[in-house]
Amino acid sequence: MLKYSAKRLLQSVVTLFLVVTIVFLLMRLMPEEGYFGEGYEKLDEAQREAILASMGLRDPIHIQLKNFYSDLFKGDLGESIIYRPKVAIAEILKSKIPYSVKFGVAAMAISLVVGIPLGILMARSKNQLWDKLGTGYIVFINAVPAAVYYLLLQLYVTDIFKLPILYNPDRPSSWILPAISMSLGGTASYAMWMRRYMVDELNKDYVKLARAKGLREKSIMVRHVLKNAIVPMVQYLPTSLLYTVSGSIYIESLYSIPGMGGLLVDAIQRQDNTLVQALVLIYSSIGIIGLFLGDILMASLDPRIKLDRKEGAR
Amino acid sequence: MDNSNVILSVKDLVVKFNLRGKILTAIRGASLDLYEGESLAIVGESGAGKSVFTKTFMGLLDANGWIDSGSILYKGEDLAKYKTEDDWIKIRGKEFAMVFQEPMTSLNPLRTIGSQVEEAVVLHQGLTGEEAKQKVIEILDDVGIQDPERRYYQYPHEFSGGMRQRVVIAIAVACNPRILICDEPTTALDVTIQAQILNLLKELQKKYNLTIIYITHDLGVVANVADRIAVMYAGDIIEIGTSEEVFYNAQHPYTWALLSSLPQLGVKGQDLYSIKGTPPNLFNEIKGDAFAPRNDKALKIDFIKRPPYFEVSPTHKAKTWLLDPRAPKVEPPESIKFLRRKWKVKANERSE
Repeated sequence: MLKYSAKRLLQSVVTLFLVVTIVFLLMRLMPEEGYFGEGYEKLDEAQREAILASMGLRDPIHIQLKNFYSDLFKGDLGESIIYRPKVAIAEILKSKIPYSVKFGVAAMAISLVVGIPLGILMARSKNQLWDKLGTGYIVFINAVPAAVYYLLLQLYVTDIFKLPILYNPDRPSSWILPAISMSLGGTASYAMWMRRYMVDELNKDYVKLARAKGLREKSIMVRHVLKNAIVPMVQYLPTSLLYTVSGSIYIESLYSIPGMGGLLVDAIQRQDNTLVQALVLIYSSIGIIGLFLGDILMASLDPRIKLDRKEGAR
Repeated sequence: MDNSNVILSVKDLVVKFNLRGKILTAIRGASLDLYEGESLAIVGESGAGKSVFTKTFMGLLDANGWIDSGSILYKGEDLAKYKTEDDWIKIRGKEFAMVFQEPMTSLNPLRTIGSQVEEAVVLHQGLTGEEAKQKVIEILDDVGIQDPERRYYQYPHEFSGGMRQRVVIAIAVACNPRILICDEPTTALDVTIQAQILNLLKELQKKYNLTIIYITHDLGVVANVADRIAVMYAGDIIEIGTSEEVFYNAQHPYTWALLSSLPQLGVKGQDLYSIKGTPPNLFNEIKGDAFAPRNDKALKIDFIKRPPYFEVSPTHKAKTWLLDPRAPKVEPPESIKFLRRKWKVKANERSE
């Protein structure tokens, strides 16, 4: 297990290094206007060259890469150019990430706490009332564009329960609705996958054997089926983790939460090259960390997973 | 059958299934007496209802199936009347245990072999902790697993197919049942392993005083292990007798057909016999002898009236009109005649 984790960690580090390097190189291919902010047109060719040279962008590529990495290890992500000129990117993110993470984690917690039990309930009452209700919910969430029910929730629920319409850091009651809205999609997908894996497991031969052994349905669920159904759920961990940091563009703009939602899109549209670079770097690191954690979790649950030997489940 | 105590008595059992609104009759009034300590083999084609028949003894029918009528008497109780999980918990494992066909998937891949056997030991032998573990190791040793102390901690994927089947058998034995139902225990294994597993079951039968029901379509398996044979066709037991009686003195045309299709009885240079047609559709009501449409020597009455059991000997009976005194003489196929000649020689040897 330890050996597996170490190997997997090493792989992650190499992947991360490759991703960061590729992102850096791709950003060098972007149009150079992105480094000037306002007033690019007013500068003549010599001035432009001088500015680019002062930013180190006229150095040979390997020198640039070396400088980039040495800044990175010092925790320096560079400065924003257009989005908020001359402000350190770390500064911008520091003011935004906590909001998104707060709501992201709350939404994920709600999704897990509601979605997993809902999926179990649906699998146990397959084709009966709860299953049908749950399926209705899942279909609704997946078929109706999120913006529609987000808006409806904001419109009616704030009215019925007298909740504030906009986010206010000092009023906890204004935090409820955004967190719940954000959790709806996750709840639906956790419930759907959990039901699916439970039904899969319940049809397997070992469940029949457990029944023939004289175990009660309840013990079969708890001791055999539940764990086996949870294992494949782990693969959704990286995406879930990513969502908690990247924030939701809809929710944050609807409730005017100053979070990360839409920041990447904004930065790309306005060609803020350094900001784009920093964000892609952060998101891909989180993705890689999520994959790593997922694999470790999976290996600790499923004895068949081993990286170092080719044998195993046949 | 040195001990002729009936421990399980099934009478006129009818089992039906609801498949998308259509009703299928899987077992059509089958009866069976099981004697303590014997090994009985139920043979028949796929779909004859062998597995369904035995599953009813443990309440393991799928949710869309039910016992329509008939009784299953065991220890003075009618299992056909059992409905709730609480009822069945008294039977499953404790009285009946089952060995399934598919050793590759019958074990939970995420739990150790030891813990899966131990579950049965804790449940049915009332042992816990170190005592239970020692018992598990003892049973693993009994089913022929080498180095059980180490194997206890291993997972199913570290076992081969034959070894996994031994573990499945260990789980059944760990329940300490009186009756062991082996549902095609060797079908998924290769031939050399098959013989080992059958020998193992024979040994365990002696050691643990088990009554065993084998379900199989492999007559070779039957010849090896069974004291008695019940031939099942379209949800009914159409012939039952001691192994020798059914092998050498078969009476039902279906049993003839089944035996004639054995490669061992084929004549060199001739095509191997195969039964023409397919088993009847169980969605429809079956009139007369269910095998009649596939039998070229069928009598008129076979299509009209269902035959009752006719006794051939106190231990041998068959459901075929051929045994009725009024029936015309029908010649069995060559291979059956050959077997009957052998039967006569054996009978003479016995009487000498």
